[in-house]
Amino acid sequence: MPGRVRSDPLKNPERPYLAIGLEGSANKFGAGVIKHFVDGTTAVLSNIRHTYITPPGEGFQPRHTALHHREWALQIIQECLVKAGVSMHDLDCICYTKGPGMGAPLQSVALVARTLSLLYNKPLVGVNHCVGHIEMGREVTGAQNPVVLYVSGGNTQVIAYSRQCYRIFGEALDIAVGNCLDRFARVINLSNDPAPGYNIEQEAKKGKRLLPIPYVTKGMDVSFSGILTAVEALTTDKRFRPDGQPKNANDEDIITPADLCFSLQETVFAMLVEITERAMAHIGSKEVLIVGGVGANERLQEMMGVMAEERGGKVFAMDERFCIDNGIMIAQAGLLSFRMGFETPISKSTCTQRFRTDQVHVSWRA
Amino acid sequence: MASPSLALISASTLISQGAEAHRFRKGYRHPTLDASLTRSRVAGEARALLRCLRSGVNVPGVRMVDASEGILGIEQVESDALEEYEIPVDVLMQLIGQEIAKMHLADVIHGDLTTSNMMLRHPSSFKSHHPTLRTELVLIDFGLSFYSSLIEDKAVDLYVLERAFSSTHPDSEPLFASILKAYGQGMGKDWAAIERRLDDVRLRGRKRSMVG
Amino acid sequence: MQSYQLPHLPPHLSSVHAALFKDVSDAAQLRQRLITASTAEGPDGTRARDALNFAFIEARLITSLQHLRTAIHQAVMADALGSLRTRTVHSEIIWSLNPTNNISEAMRRYGVSDTSTSLVVVRIDSPELSVTDIERDMDAAVNGTKVPFADLRDITDWTAVKKYHKLGNEVAIQQTKGDVDRERGVVDEIATSSVAMKMVMG
Repeated sequence: MPGRVRSDPLKNPERPYLAIGLEGSANKFGAGVIKHFVDGTTAVLSNIRHTYITPPGEGFQPRHTALHHREWALQIIQECLVKAGVSMHDLDCICYTKGPGMGAPLQSVALVARTLSLLYNKPLVGVNHCVGHIEMGREVTGAQNPVVLYVSGGNTQVIAYSRQCYRIFGEALDIAVGNCLDRFARVINLSNDPAPGYNIEQEAKKGKRLLPIPYVTKGMDVSFSGILTAVEALTTDKRFRPDGQPKNANDEDIITPADLCFSLQETVFAMLVEITERAMAHIGSKEVLIVGGVGANERLQEMMGVMAEERGGKVFAMDERFCIDNGIMIAQAGLLSFRMGFETPISKSTCTQRFRTDQVHVSWRA
Repeated sequence: MASPSLALISASTLISQGAEAHRFRKGYRHPTLDASLTRSRVAGEARALLRCLRSGVNVPGVRMVDASEGILGIEQVESDALEEYEIPVDVLMQLIGQEIAKMHLADVIHGDLTTSNMMLRHPSSFKSHHPTLRTELVLIDFGLSFYSSLIEDKAVDLYVLERAFSSTHPDSEPLFASILKAYGQGMGKDWAAIERRLDDVRLRGRKRSMVG
Repeated sequence: MQSYQLPHLPPHLSSVHAALFKDVSDAAQLRQRLITASTAEGPDGTRARDALNFAFIEARLITSLQHLRTAIHQAVMADALGSLRTRTVHSEIIWSLNPTNNISEAMRRYGVSDTSTSLVVVRIDSPELSVTDIERDMDAAVNGTKVPFADLRDITDWTAVKKYHKLGNEVAIQQTKGDVDRERGVVDEIATSSVAMKMVMG
């Protein structure tokens, strides 16, 4: 960034701060306790999650997902406090996901947060889910000012920080990349346990054949719906063998589910790395941070690493504990804004399905 | 010897005075995917550049193409920091709008319009034909360009620029408005339909604020 | 004659020699000798071909030295990559200059013809060959006056170039509004770029 370097408006706290974060915007319910120390360091005291897993071939419906969160919330929060060795009374604030996400699950978690806030007389902090991912990513990896690739079941965004805002440079024009992968996993009946994307990744490791699939980038934007249609269509190709096995010794020209997972990953990840590289070139950054559930994919991390190396830069990535939706990231982003004086009054503690990353005032950064 | 073009780049020997080369190949991509993308993008960029040259759009000239290695050699545009030119901002916006209009009239869609893909030619390196300006605006990097006469594609091209503007310039609205004004004048009767479509595209963009 | 090296190419293609001749008086005979030499057999045939081992290019269709050098570079690249469309690197230069893929049309337009009065003569070879020998052979092959390349500006037939590149109605030409210098700059750029991208013209 050109110009003089300004110091962050957020100063080291005069005493340690504690916050709990509650997340439930999709099919995971997560709770985590974070601590900010006076020397500016941070500790994850606990980070617990429970995932609503549907049978193979089925996605998660908002109503059932909300039920899941309601059923598990108290138990997970309890475990989370015990693990952290703190009580509700010790907390400075309660952070919850305000959006974006699925309406019913968001509301069920907000209700829990509101109730706890009233019971223990603790301030509420509504958090943008995407900003949660970014802030936790920065905290865990130590990346200073990276271009962020945020890839999950609901979001595909290339983001860079500028003037107290996480600006979106590129995004998916239709469905999110994780949605594309998950839906394809359902087409070929892969298990949703632990996650459809994880099982695609494992299956792709066995794939050998790269099939031609559309490659759709427009500037810094990408599109996945045509790709999903194309790869689905290949499952009705007469060369497709659902069991991955040749019919007989002469059955050589075949397409296996593994080949399709492989081709799909190679294509969509190449697109994502390409738009990330373009954003890096555009703003002159050499760091890239991958966040969101799809960010746990090691092939994506590997490809991003090759790109970053070619540019003399570095990729920052995380494992599933922090990549996949979790409570601690909500606690982290919430506590940052709480320390800047931000609170969400009960009367405004609503949720919103649509909440863009660039709508958040990032008051804690210079 | 592996590839003359690669040797050319590693030795940084110029084909002729003032040419530069850029590579399309990407190490992170699967080789098969990379080869087909590379080939089509080099060819696409070269064709778009020639089409632009023939249509009077300011773009760098083509100097060398090696499709199999994915290398395109282009004229080096001598340029300087923006401040060196002392051009008023509204004139600059006008230049941008005019050049994009010329390109769209030739049915070339850039595919990646950002301010980093525009350069101002250094006064010492060419003879300006403009009555008052000593420079000209040059559009570069046609790696994602394609040929289309569709209103939709032209509107999306503008929208990509608008987004790039708003993500890097804090008060971009009046700037972009003056680009569109010059663009509209350049496009003539085609402008009304593109303007309407641009509104639609913006709306679509805002709706896209949530889960997929 | 000017000579330059292309160090990034295999040795047998790395040395370029080029000269511009005007007032060429024997173009018809030269063309005849080329035809005869191409089919002659035995040691005489080899000798005849060696003596004419050049690209003889219609100079009035060359718009600038850069235009010429771009064509030379594309031809040499094609040879190095084993993708020549014509028989030799010398004929490939002539093919590169023509905007279409038609080989006989390229030879007819951009090669020496009976009416040629100015020629660009090019030799691609290994740096081991002596420059003096090449220049001697070149002078022996063409009956004309060797002039510096700067003299191209009086030789280029801009109307013919525009016609072959179908530039009559192009916006770029109309924009120059009769400014001759400016129009020539535009035509030269289009001709040069067309040569450079011929590999992917499609």
